[in-house]
Amino acid sequence: MFKIRQICSVAMYNFRKWRRNPRVFITFALAFILCFLLSDKAVNFAKEYKTSMQIMEAFIWSFEDANSILLASLLLVFLFSDMPFITSGTPFYLMRINRKTWLAGQVLYIVLATFIYMLFILIATSVVCMSDSFVGNMWSQTAAILGYSKAGNAVALPSIVKTLEMNTPYECMATIFLLMLLYSLLMALIMLTFNIRKGQLAGTISVFVFTLFGLILKPDLIKAIFKLPERLAYKANVAVGWLSPLNQATYHMHNFGYDRLPRLWQTYIIFGVLIALFFILALRSIRNYNFNFTGTEG
Amino acid sequence: MDIAISVQNVSKNFGEETVLSDVSHDFEEGKIHGIVGNNGSGKTVLMKCICGFLLPTNGKILVNYKQVGKDCDFPENMGIIIETPGFLPGLTGMKNLQILASLKRKIGRDTIYKTIERVGLDPTMKKTVGKYSLGMRQRLGIAQAIMENPSILILDEPLNGLDKSGVEQMRNLIKGLRTEGKTIILASHNQLDIDELCDTVCEMDAGVMSVVRE
Repeated sequence: MFKIRQICSVAMYNFRKWRRNPRVFITFALAFILCFLLSDKAVNFAKEYKTSMQIMEAFIWSFEDANSILLASLLLVFLFSDMPFITSGTPFYLMRINRKTWLAGQVLYIVLATFIYMLFILIATSVVCMSDSFVGNMWSQTAAILGYSKAGNAVALPSIVKTLEMNTPYECMATIFLLMLLYSLLMALIMLTFNIRKGQLAGTISVFVFTLFGLILKPDLIKAIFKLPERLAYKANVAVGWLSPLNQATYHMHNFGYDRLPRLWQTYIIFGVLIALFFILALRSIRNYNFNFTGTEG
Repeated sequence: MDIAISVQNVSKNFGEETVLSDVSHDFEEGKIHGIVGNNGSGKTVLMKCICGFLLPTNGKILVNYKQVGKDCDFPENMGIIIETPGFLPGLTGMKNLQILASLKRKIGRDTIYKTIERVGLDPTMKKTVGKYSLGMRQRLGIAQAIMENPSILILDEPLNGLDKSGVEQMRNLIKGLRTEGKTIILASHNQLDIDELCDTVCEMDAGVMSVVRE
């Protein structure tokens, strides 16, 4: 119990530094702009067709797309770029706890900060479409038009019939939220581990490589590498669905009962195992980490 | 007399650069040990190694017969002030120390109150640390180092930024801590501080330590 208090105290210390921290304000301001730009298409579509929206739909249609998830997660990396958050106040904490407790506190902070950031994105997208939306747990007319008439393709909104038919808006929102959270956490923990082991430049490069891997790994690439004929193209889709972390984080790239893509629970386990693995690696790395603190907070 | 800190053949490299070169020294209990040396001579790195923040490339450091980095991450019962002390600027000095004290839960509000008074600050002051002068911050740094009554103190330039009366007050405080039986390692540029306060003096030069006064 005492250790938990210490861990919470370290996490709280980082949150206290949010006050007057321009990087925090910039991250959240950019996130709001991103939400506005991404949900603008859906909102304008609803306006054009004079239909209303379910309040979560702006979030669902905006972040059902892999590229949007990627952009939102990369903004978070900006917030965490100075991991493992060493300042001139750090030695006072370290002398009163131990290395592992201190790192556990940092990881708790990363988890909570990521959750707050994702919540902000959810709220921001809801605010954007608030004027013409309802809160009931049913899909709107806008969603029906986007999905069933294929109008979604025309305006590049990934409103998939599969989504509409398999889930209610709140369930769908919760799933997308969780997938984004897990993807961002994995990215943050990879960065933390590399920052501790090899320095901040290596941490940044690791995120870049992780992102690039998700971006490059497309079905066409698999088809080209293995020279798959068109009739076997679905195999490339399935392979990408499993191998690409970005696709694992994308809602409609999951198996809802009629293909071999990963099921949602399988994705949760994969992300969970990878996050735990990088947490353990970070814990092991902190044992030999040299704390170099400079500057002042005041 | 017992040995509080034993530095045994410690070397520290940062890449190709050697910052500490085969440093060995025993710091006896209950004394003030001065370390002098120019900027970049390795004083602070040695202190950080003793505290466990930096791990020696070679050699070992024993604090109260426990090897730092092996038997413990950071030495227990040690108070430190290294470089500019960092506090949360939006909180008062009292609140900052209360947060730090809550990590160990060894002391209560009254002890913190008295420690702040002891270093010449007003514990009831509403001013946030962000508005403190360098000297006030330094005093608060000393307060956080001594508040839990540690047996060893590592003080790197503790009198930096203090005015004349502040320096005198802190000198008296450090002397008082010695009479309480504490072991203090003090790094300073000021020869007067070293002459007046220290029982033994070592000099660091390009990572090599030599004894100036036993």
